[in-house]
Amino acid sequence: MVRCNKGRSFRRRSFFYMVVCGFGVVLSISSQAYGWWMWTPGDTVDDSTQNTLVAGYMPDQPVPFSHKLHAGDRQISCEYCHSGARRSASAVVPDLATCMGCHQVVAIDKEPIKLITEKYRKNEPLQWVKVNDLPDHVRFSHQPHVLAGVSCESCHGEVKEMEKVSQWAPLQMGWCIGCHKENNASISCQSCHY
Amino acid sequence: MLGSKTGSKTLGSDSKTDNIDNIDHIESQDQQIVLASDGPFEAPAQTFVPGPYYAAVEEVMEDMAATEADVAGDYADLRHQSFPLDRRDFLKLFSLSALAGSVKACVPRPVEHMLPYVDQPVDTVPGIAKHYATTCGECAASCGVQVKTKDGRPIKLEGLSAHPVNKGALCATGQASIQGLYHPQRLKHPMMSVGARVLEASWEDIWQRLGDACKQTTKIGILTRGVTGSVRGFYKAFLEGLGSSAENVYFVDSRSLYATVDKAHHLAFGRTGIPRTVLSKAEMILGVSSDFFETGLSPIFDSKNFSRGIGYKNQGGKSLKGRFIQCESVMSITGAKADKRHSIPVGSELPFLVLILSHLLSRSSQLKASSSDISKARGVLAVFKDQLKGYRTLFTSLDSGYFDKLVGELLARPAVIMAGGVATCTQDATRIQLLAVVCNVLIGAYESILFTSESWMLNPLESFAKSSSGVENSTEQGQQQQQQKQQEIMSSDMMRFFGKASELDILLVIDCDPVQSIPRSFDVSGVLSDIETVISIQSFPRMVDTYADYVLPMHHYLESWGDSEAYAGFIGMRQPSVRPLYGSFQAEDMLLWISAAAGRSMGYESYRVYLFEQWKKIYDKLNIADVSFSLFIQNNLRKGFFGVPGKRNKAALMDVASYFSSSGGSGSMNSAGINSWSDVSGGSLKLIAPLDAKLADGRHGHLPILQEVGDAMSTVCWDSFAAMSPYTCRKLGVKRNDVIRIRGKNGGAIEVAVFPMPGVAHDAVVVSQGRGIDDERNTIAHGVGVNPLDVVSKEWDPLSYQMVTSAVDVKVEPTGKRYRLAAMQKHNDIANRSDVYRKVGFSELEHKIEKRRGHTPKNLDDVPDLYPSLDKPETYMHKQDNSSKPGGVEPRHLDYRWGMSIDLDRCTGCGACMVACSLENNVAQVGRDQVNLGREMFWIRLDRYFDGAVDEPGVSFQPVMCQQCNHAPCEAVCPVFATTHDPEGINAMTYNRCVGTRYCANACPYKVRRFNWWTHSFGKVGKRLQDRTPRALNPDVTVRTRGVMEKCNFCVGRIRDAKHRLQRVNVEKHMDNHRIPSDWIKTACQETCPSDAISFGNLKEPGSLVTRLRRDERAYLMLGGDPDHKHYGIKTLPNVSYLAEVVAEDLTDGHTSKGEPSGSDHG
Repeated sequence: MVRCNKGRSFRRRSFFYMVVCGFGVVLSISSQAYGWWMWTPGDTVDDSTQNTLVAGYMPDQPVPFSHKLHAGDRQISCEYCHSGARRSASAVVPDLATCMGCHQVVAIDKEPIKLITEKYRKNEPLQWVKVNDLPDHVRFSHQPHVLAGVSCESCHGEVKEMEKVSQWAPLQMGWCIGCHKENNASISCQSCHY
Repeated sequence: MLGSKTGSKTLGSDSKTDNIDNIDHIESQDQQIVLASDGPFEAPAQTFVPGPYYAAVEEVMEDMAATEADVAGDYADLRHQSFPLDRRDFLKLFSLSALAGSVKACVPRPVEHMLPYVDQPVDTVPGIAKHYATTCGECAASCGVQVKTKDGRPIKLEGLSAHPVNKGALCATGQASIQGLYHPQRLKHPMMSVGARVLEASWEDIWQRLGDACKQTTKIGILTRGVTGSVRGFYKAFLEGLGSSAENVYFVDSRSLYATVDKAHHLAFGRTGIPRTVLSKAEMILGVSSDFFETGLSPIFDSKNFSRGIGYKNQGGKSLKGRFIQCESVMSITGAKADKRHSIPVGSELPFLVLILSHLLSRSSQLKASSSDISKARGVLAVFKDQLKGYRTLFTSLDSGYFDKLVGELLARPAVIMAGGVATCTQDATRIQLLAVVCNVLIGAYESILFTSESWMLNPLESFAKSSSGVENSTEQGQQQQQQKQQEIMSSDMMRFFGKASELDILLVIDCDPVQSIPRSFDVSGVLSDIETVISIQSFPRMVDTYADYVLPMHHYLESWGDSEAYAGFIGMRQPSVRPLYGSFQAEDMLLWISAAAGRSMGYESYRVYLFEQWKKIYDKLNIADVSFSLFIQNNLRKGFFGVPGKRNKAALMDVASYFSSSGGSGSMNSAGINSWSDVSGGSLKLIAPLDAKLADGRHGHLPILQEVGDAMSTVCWDSFAAMSPYTCRKLGVKRNDVIRIRGKNGGAIEVAVFPMPGVAHDAVVVSQGRGIDDERNTIAHGVGVNPLDVVSKEWDPLSYQMVTSAVDVKVEPTGKRYRLAAMQKHNDIANRSDVYRKVGFSELEHKIEKRRGHTPKNLDDVPDLYPSLDKPETYMHKQDNSSKPGGVEPRHLDYRWGMSIDLDRCTGCGACMVACSLENNVAQVGRDQVNLGREMFWIRLDRYFDGAVDEPGVSFQPVMCQQCNHAPCEAVCPVFATTHDPEGINAMTYNRCVGTRYCANACPYKVRRFNWWTHSFGKVGKRLQDRTPRALNPDVTVRTRGVMEKCNFCVGRIRDAKHRLQRVNVEKHMDNHRIPSDWIKTACQETCPSDAISFGNLKEPGSLVTRLRRDERAYLMLGGDPDHKHYGIKTLPNVSYLAEVVAEDLTDGHTSKGEPSGSDHG
């Protein structure tokens, strides 16, 4: 400590505290900063109610498509539209031609049907919002699950009763592993992460 | 532990003995500590024998090692690249960014969208790959390619497994060509130069202008690279339609071997056509500067056949191995594969073959040729009778007895002489081929190994100017003279281009870059400047564009229609596998539109129509009435090729002696042309500028993966280097990384860093072509290395008129500067261990196999465990009773244990596996600076080791990927369980769990783990743009970000796909198969390997190939010690096993043999 110059010593000390505080602040936010540096599409931040990857996520869709009407009341099988589920990684969102298969004659006076007819005529795809979204480091395939006899409802919930589709399952790793363990499926990391 | 102690020692140094003592001391100490409690540790190796291998010449020539000052200089460029901020600035910035980050982090994750098809094609399911068959367009070898496309975009290329040329394999360049498709710098708009400015133009405007230009003149020409197939006729029809002549098509290619071999056969047999070389039928190959593994006529075809015919095999308990002897003055990977390689002075290939010829003729009773052939061969030898003595003095290490033995071998069994390559582009290039033809006739190679009368290879450089009357069978003298006269007038396209092209008014330069690939002394730019309108049609910016008035973007070969006829009658079909990505058109379509705009339409709607018309002609000839043409095309497009083999009569050797008379005025024809030691110390060397094995003449320079894989022999990437013999380096006083200046006779000079390369001839300095591209639009290749063609003078080979790029007289002087070459392999890799790379003598192996007969086969897995209380790995793998355990312990899969076997006897070091792996697994390319820091990302690397004398080294390549240890050191040290053991034997790496401690990389004894020091951006390598756009990535493999460790995972995605396929088959067919058939899974490296060196499969399946190979007598585990002597190495127990390379101790021993092995007592 430099005795002969108190002012300077005080300044030094205050500087010292400033540095300590500064470091504290920096450290406290550095974790978030780290998250920002490392951020890539596919990572999640779970502090928003409208966040994806959280059960209950229910985004607006370009067309108010009702699964309750189609899958529930009309009892159209899931795989009629989601035709890839049995043979591909992707369950497949149906092309507009699939919609038009019926809607050339069914409910053609409704506004949404007019919209998709217009889109189909212009050869423009419909841009849906993804509801059940997994992070990019997860390699999920529908095929083995469907072929193993896992019902659609066990992961997607009672879509047949949903007017507007929302995320039903938490889709977190613990939830996946729970089911894998119950059914004696592989829980090796490489089954989903590679 | 061992490595650090012994690694610093050099071979043969005096301190070796006490070094060994040290180790023994250390080991025995360890041993005492451990032995007290643990039984199974093996006894220490009794003697420590330094391994014979060295990775760099500095290990055996101490004076070549860099001094501290040198090293300081090398790292100078890195020092100023160090962190650019001082501490205060860093803190300020850090807190600012942290604040910004905390704000940013509050923003929720973006919403993801899905875009389904409007009208989904019937045969398409999103998420399921579709495969298209097409033909590779990168070189004239025309391998079949299977394009894997997902959601409409190609993501990976594989060889077509049914294709007769490449049989499922693909070379490094073919693999990498997909990067060219997505390259962000591809030409996207038509450009037009107006005055000094280059403007973007509209296509309508372009057609208008070009049509007008073509209306005004008939002096129109085309300059293109060597091609085969329908496009040749199309060019001809195009020019004739516009009133020009077919002679104005110039096929100019740096791969002049096609031209020289074709010319030699033309002179020798009176007809064109390159022999189809089927090496699998040979048991003995004599290579004279041949390069059939890398830049030859059809590298994959040759590699496949070589590994089948010459490689070691054990058939019915009997070991067989052919022999390959190579003499060369450069160090090529072909020479590296040879059983015995001799370094010969630059330009002495012709004398060497003359000596072979003279020894052959001294055994006239054994020759397999007719008497007239022999007398003609004698005529050839007579030309050289005065020089023979001088020739003998050239080969100091090879005495007359050796030649005799060699010739005896050539005659004793099916043998072939492979001569010439990219390193023999001298004035003798065609004479070397001609002499090889004569020798091959004498040893009976024609129609047994070299086929010229059935499915012979077509010359892609064949000129239209020649009297192309097809098959000429006559052997009459008169016709020969006539041809000779013709040849003088017509010479080659190359020469005619420089003689006549400047008279043209319009020149179309299609898919080639003469400015880069032809030496400046030829003055290509002068020729181009003389032509009024130059139209450059390219898919990628090339240097020739600078001289062009119009630059038109053309399709990548994956977007185009086409075909090729690499072998007579064999059509490889090319079909688009993706919609055009940028605003480009097919080159041939552009020609159609130009001719239409000129008012002389060719009458075809598109080139596709023309192509189908050509195919229809072949269909009509085939006379298959029950298959309609459309069905025929549909089926064959699915297959990728069709045709009937061309057949013609055998031809007899003609009198070729006159071509050897010294009229050509070649300096290297006699021994006076060979540089002596005193010349060398004065800096007079001969420059050899071969094509780069991967970048060729620079054509592939824009593909970052090829730049990053670099040169196999030196492991230098992203740079040119001058390979010189270490003794020459010593003589000139230069070491590795010293910059030398190479001056040519033409006044040009290049400065390039030295790489002392064992095995290069003393008077040679070897600088590969393919670099030194000065074009800022090509950021990948711009400023990388130098172009050796700058110091090459304008010289021709007087027979085939191809340019001379080898044995060029140059003056070499040190500059005193240093430049750090980015070599991936550092010193002392092998650390004197004998269980890293293994060779086994042929007779020793036979003895071992004999000894083992009747006993249990070798079991590499029988390794005592570190902890005896735990189970041995086999039982560990078998354990199944998990369901009863509480908490549901990981269920063990009974069915699989994945393993790989790598046959070092087959690996040629071509690098295709590295490229295939990187593309399959989205491995980033990092650029020179990062490689210099040791941060290359390759999951599979190629280690290269030398052994033996520095003059004539043996060279070994070893692909090393993650060894998937059963006792993995990396797993034990990971604090977050990011790397764990998969029940199927794979050492799993979970990226999203990794926190980047890098402990695992430090623990890994094989150094195969790669750390992401950066999030390698999608579009850049360092500051260089590249293709890694998200759409060029494999969607089935996670893209890793910064701070994450990654490594080989045995292509686990492919394994998973196969499991899903098995499940689907089981469900659909109500079956209950437990195991995936072994041919369902091929790893990326295995699938593309041109020599079938890699096998992959299930070690639990007793009969699978990989299981059998793991029990092979040659099998060993890397760092696995020697289990036969109870020395278990480091006991990591990898699932990757290697098969030792088999070396023949003697030229003759244990030959394959239909009769009895011949000895040297033959003559």
